[in-house]
Amino acid sequence: MTEILQQIINGIAIGGVYVLIALGLTIVFGILGIAHFAHGSVSMFGGYLTFFLAAQHGIPLALAITIALITGMVLGVLIELLAYRPVRHANHINAFIVALGLTMMVEGANLQFFGAEQIVIPTGATRVFSIGGVTLPELRLYVILAAAALIAAMTIFVEKTKTGQAIRAVAENRDAAILMGINVQMIPLVVFAISTALGVAAGVMVGSLFAIAPGVGEGLVVKGFAVLILGGLGSIPGAVVGGIVLGVTEALAAGFISSAYKDVIAFVVMIAVLLLRPQGLMGRA
Amino acid sequence: MMGKSLLTCSVAALLLGTGSLAAQETLKIGVADALTGGAAVYGLPQANSVEMAADEINAAGGISVGDETYMLDVIVYDDKANPTEATNAVRKLIDRDGVKYILGFCCSGATGAIASFIGYEDAVMLVGNAAERSITTQGLTNLVRTRPPADYTGAAAGAFVARQGHKRVAVLGALETSFYASYVEAFEEEFAKSGGEVIAHEVFASKDRDMSPQLTKIRAMDPDALLVVGYVEPAAFAYRQSTELGMDIPRYGFTSGSEEQFLRVATTEQMEGVWDLRPTELTLQSTTDAGLAYHEHYLERFGDAPSPSSPYAYDQAWALKHAIEAAGSVDDTEAVAAALRDLKIFPEAVMQYRPVNGKMFDDNGQAYTANGAFQWQDGHWVFVEELPSDPEAYSEFLSSLN
Amino acid sequence: MKFKTLLMLAALVLFLALPQLITVKYYLHLCILALIWVIMAQGQNLIQGYTGYVSIVQAGFMGIGAYSSALMGSHFGLPVGMTIILAPLVTAVFALVAGYPSLRVKGHYFAIVTLAFNMVIFIVLLNFTHLTNGEAGISGIHKPGYGRGAMIDFYDRQVYYYFVLAIAVLMTTLAAVIVRSRIGQILLAIRQNEDLVASVGVAAWRYKLFAFVISAMFAGLAGALYAHYQSFINPEIFGVAQSMDAILAVIIGGSGTLTGPVIGAFFVVFLPEYLRFADSFRLILYGLILVLATIFMPRGIVGLARDLGTRFGGRK
Repeated sequence: MTEILQQIINGIAIGGVYVLIALGLTIVFGILGIAHFAHGSVSMFGGYLTFFLAAQHGIPLALAITIALITGMVLGVLIELLAYRPVRHANHINAFIVALGLTMMVEGANLQFFGAEQIVIPTGATRVFSIGGVTLPELRLYVILAAAALIAAMTIFVEKTKTGQAIRAVAENRDAAILMGINVQMIPLVVFAISTALGVAAGVMVGSLFAIAPGVGEGLVVKGFAVLILGGLGSIPGAVVGGIVLGVTEALAAGFISSAYKDVIAFVVMIAVLLLRPQGLMGRA
Repeated sequence: MMGKSLLTCSVAALLLGTGSLAAQETLKIGVADALTGGAAVYGLPQANSVEMAADEINAAGGISVGDETYMLDVIVYDDKANPTEATNAVRKLIDRDGVKYILGFCCSGATGAIASFIGYEDAVMLVGNAAERSITTQGLTNLVRTRPPADYTGAAAGAFVARQGHKRVAVLGALETSFYASYVEAFEEEFAKSGGEVIAHEVFASKDRDMSPQLTKIRAMDPDALLVVGYVEPAAFAYRQSTELGMDIPRYGFTSGSEEQFLRVATTEQMEGVWDLRPTELTLQSTTDAGLAYHEHYLERFGDAPSPSSPYAYDQAWALKHAIEAAGSVDDTEAVAAALRDLKIFPEAVMQYRPVNGKMFDDNGQAYTANGAFQWQDGHWVFVEELPSDPEAYSEFLSSLN
Repeated sequence: MKFKTLLMLAALVLFLALPQLITVKYYLHLCILALIWVIMAQGQNLIQGYTGYVSIVQAGFMGIGAYSSALMGSHFGLPVGMTIILAPLVTAVFALVAGYPSLRVKGHYFAIVTLAFNMVIFIVLLNFTHLTNGEAGISGIHKPGYGRGAMIDFYDRQVYYYFVLAIAVLMTTLAAVIVRSRIGQILLAIRQNEDLVASVGVAAWRYKLFAFVISAMFAGLAGALYAHYQSFINPEIFGVAQSMDAILAVIIGGSGTLTGPVIGAFFVVFLPEYLRFADSFRLILYGLILVLATIFMPRGIVGLARDLGTRFGGRK
């Protein structure tokens, strides 16, 4: 029993990271219809930048994270303007190939600026809580709490604010939104800014809880899309549920089935969902 | 008329010029190694150390063959530890640059690709840090390797851990990488001789950084000790997460990571007491004068301390020099390859080789170094003792394969 | 039309004469790799260029072809010629299994699911060590023919060049036949407007699955040729990065054309040679080329050449 509980705890922390990555992907996909494959690499750029500022230039961690978040938002806006906007009216395949090209560019830039060795953002949080044999490192708790806070903030933004309502309006009916006087040129920029900020937050979490190294971002974005397929494309609750389900599934698979094939098992679950419930766990049929 | 005589003059000058250099020729040697990408941590220092060795050899008068003296000229290509890139690099060295001696080779996949065709080439291949056993079991007469295979070290580690009195050991490692798997296999075999048992074989992939699921499973099995086998980047997380899960058991490993690499991931408290059971390689506490000089020169030239495994390549260059001189030819690769196998351990060698039948390389072209037990104490790897290794017996076993 | 035939003949003559023109054998080696990539790219083009679905599993299928051909040879002692023919069939079986669920999702998500499959194939190649020998790979894979020094000696790179050239020409012809057939027309229609195809009562998924499986067979064949040429394979070369190269080859050459993949294949094999000076920027540069080409040159080099051709021709 301790073992199962411990595995679930293990899975929730990584699941929180998956949720944040998936949220960034799902709003871009749900609203703009773009499979933003470069999201993982851009997220890792945020993690790298935080490391660079905090560990190499001694800037306080909170400030470093803030700078990384803002830089990330700017980067997201630039990506939309320079890369995706020119192919908006072309065949959808073009946007995806642009996304692949962007991934290579950002991965290459990360490698060039930050090197091939793995980096870990130093946090100094090394305490471990233990309740009845189940342990929870302090840092994992912070990651889970931060992820929860961001999910809540994101939901409030979309549901309650004017910009959020405008975004939803565009997602549901673009033409009607134009008639309502919504500036549809602005919406993609806002969406990319938010999406990238969420990604940077995930990058910081990965960088402090685990490590950032070449290829980590690409691995994560695939997991992020797996979450979307699990939870339902474009659905925010779907991303939350899917992320946690994927994280816990991986931990349980590694703990009870096979650690060598844990990623395979995660993908099998994804494919099973695809076959049995193509609209996803939380999607509408 | 004027023009013609001028031409004659300059031709004569050219001839004279080359004439005076006739006794001193250039021998091109190649390096194929990972200079970029994840494996560059191993490959780049190897390439550097070959260049350094070549300069030292040249400064000491080059390679003398008969009346001729050859100065080494090193051509380095990046193989990214990728088999296709490595094939391209070596093809280019042989076909285009006319190179006959190829050094470097940090990583098993790329090395295996070259080993699969080098036997048909008029060339000699010297392998460095790549630890996959099968490289020296294919009966390739024109290949030698300075690093011992991983299972040679694994057997020594098994004997060592058994001597510590453990009975049930759990393994967590990069077992999809065959040289790590063979380390564990040899470990297990040796460990079983004293009644020990490996109760778990948990795997992490090279990109995994969260090993808590595997460790949680191991924790529930309550083993006497943990053995972590894999590249330092994930292995450091395994050590950190084992303390986070409150596992208070002796931890052994085969990772060959530096202090800096571990401290990036884990605190020194989390690392305290961890053992690393590996080839002795370059460690300042246990090395010879040649090793200290190597460290100093490398630091001076490249601004970084040399990686512990980089001397495998440095020693290749010196071994090649001695072999060419012994063979008395730079063109006859067969003679040079034979001379390599006949070579005695030479004073310039940085790694601490253990001779087999008095020679540096055995009949398989394999060299053996000492294995050491290192322990993390107070923020540093401390050399504690030499592991009980038996190169002669292992060499016989190696010859019995294939 | 006549001009085009002439151009094709000229290209064929050039390919036939190439080994005689190349003095440094290293470049012959690269040409063989490029021809193998022509087969890869023609396959990728069928699904990506003609059907409009980006598949990111081609390298994984190449791996299945490579491993199955090598293993059938070593385990069952089948002759190399036969395993090269069987390898694409084995790949097809895997492609059927992978394609059925993947094609339930449209557009981008198909790409992601295929990418997941590439990762699965990679993990299995790495971990199923009893069969694949893991990361250390399989070495000593036999060449076709009757060994070294036989009358037709496949160890001679020139011989292997002509062998691969013949197959590349054959596969390009096969691609042309498929594209010009009714199936090809339907694939094109799916690319233009899938809903419309479905609305006229055509079971689009069958055609998509067909294109996917055929493209996988091309990749499997390329893999088998690769394995027997290099005599060594390990999982490293069958990862996602290699699949990206296949996409790049199609985009750069000209997607939805038959000459495009040929040009694109040579491009991806030879470009790194000329980018050595900028090796560390290679990834950035590749990405930039991909983005810029998609935005400004969506029809690739072939499209560009055609535009120039019509402009030039128009003036005459």
